[in-house]
Amino acid sequence: MSTTRALFIRDFLIARSYRLAVVLDLILGLLNLLVYYFISQTFGDPAPSDLGSAPSYFAFAGVGIAMTTVINAATAAVSARVRQEQLTGTLEATLTQPVSSAGLATGMSGLPFLAAAVRAAMYLVLAALILDLDFPQADWGGAVAVLAISGIALSSLGILSAALVMVLKRGDVVVSLGVFALGLLSGSVFPISVLPAWLEPIAEVMPTRFAFDGLRDALFGGDWSGDVAVLCLFAVVLLPPALWAFAASLRAAKRSGSIAEY
Amino acid sequence: MSGLHRENGPLPTGSERVLEVAGLYRRFGEREVLRGLELRLWAGERLAVTGPNGSGKTTLLRCVSGTLTPSGGRVEVCGHLAGSLAARRRIGVSLSQERSFYLRLSGRNNLLFFARLRHRRESEARMATEQLIDELELETIAAERVDRCSTGMVQQLALARALLGSPALLVLDEPTRSLDPGAVERLWGAIDRRPELTLLIATHRSDDVERCTERLDLGAMSRP
Repeated sequence: MSTTRALFIRDFLIARSYRLAVVLDLILGLLNLLVYYFISQTFGDPAPSDLGSAPSYFAFAGVGIAMTTVINAATAAVSARVRQEQLTGTLEATLTQPVSSAGLATGMSGLPFLAAAVRAAMYLVLAALILDLDFPQADWGGAVAVLAISGIALSSLGILSAALVMVLKRGDVVVSLGVFALGLLSGSVFPISVLPAWLEPIAEVMPTRFAFDGLRDALFGGDWSGDVAVLCLFAVVLLPPALWAFAASLRAAKRSGSIAEY
Repeated sequence: MSGLHRENGPLPTGSERVLEVAGLYRRFGEREVLRGLELRLWAGERLAVTGPNGSGKTTLLRCVSGTLTPSGGRVEVCGHLAGSLAARRRIGVSLSQERSFYLRLSGRNNLLFFARLRHRRESEARMATEQLIDELELETIAAERVDRCSTGMVQQLALARALLGSPALLVLDEPTRSLDPGAVERLWGAIDRRPELTLLIATHRSDDVERCTERLDLGAMSRP
């Protein structure tokens, strides 16, 4: 727990030193929402059955954008942090401290996830204030539950990605591609029913699909409990092997002597 | 203890074996850097590792620190396999000082981060950090963001970090390279105030070697 706290405070202080980035990120999020707002205005809404619980295409895409922020943080932030530590040389200094590999992996996930959840909430607030997105049937407790369990379940993918970066160094490109594909296939900004028929069964079992659907269900009056149950299952199944892979990647890096390499 | 020369008087009287290196062998590809190194250090001993660039000084220090796994042989710190959590609790390390801090954080916040990894309670971490800042006269450096510090300032910070958690073994890689004479004296003063502390230091400077009880010349060992 002290490791997680130490890493959380460290990441918070570093993030705080880039104050302008926080503002720019919010502006970028708003621009992203605006794009889908105007797409929605231009082309109208698809059949309601394609949108799940969402009452309009903009509601569907807006929540998708917010959830994508959390998914990106959970899946790509740890590997990005590992890569940064390799480049700045702080990885070796941290690994000489009494820190377990599991503590390191989970600790590095903490702040990126929390910051992304806050950003996602702010995107939704902006969408409500500026673009008239309504949440009359929202179950806010359910939304928090979906965000939290999504972060835990999907951080296993992030820890696996970090293991890849630890060994391959430039694995961040592979990770970025993977995260992009996850969003594309899981119904982030368009329904999976528009995917080619052969891709739909794959999309149906993506953990990220349950995260998107769960948040839309929680915010627009649907039943989110099934999505949370599946995400819990993903967390239980994926997290232990992800932590094992991260520990194995550290051992491999120590064997090859690449901990201190760029 | 192959290649080891006693420099300054008798062995310290410490009773605990702090470091044991047995048949250490490390290669990088086809290149053998360390071959069958044997080494034992007891509490309070100070070993200076010397030798030309590429003779394996830093490789030895990394194997002891646990960030590099030996190709063969065994390294133990206080009876625990190097790199294990128990070994890392007992060792303070300063390697590649210029590239080992968070540049956007102040010296104090960097030290606090590493202190938090060693102390469960926030109050303990803060106390340990402030004590070292006071002892090593780092108040100016601690207040400065690390990307605004000189190499010598960062090296002083690296010594403070290595001393966090009161380690039994201190591993320093050329810690005095960029230090002014005052900072060198503060470094050795801090070590002198810890008579039970075992020191493993890689250095090119003869005055560092003179402060140690023993010397290991890896250059001599690698010559046929």
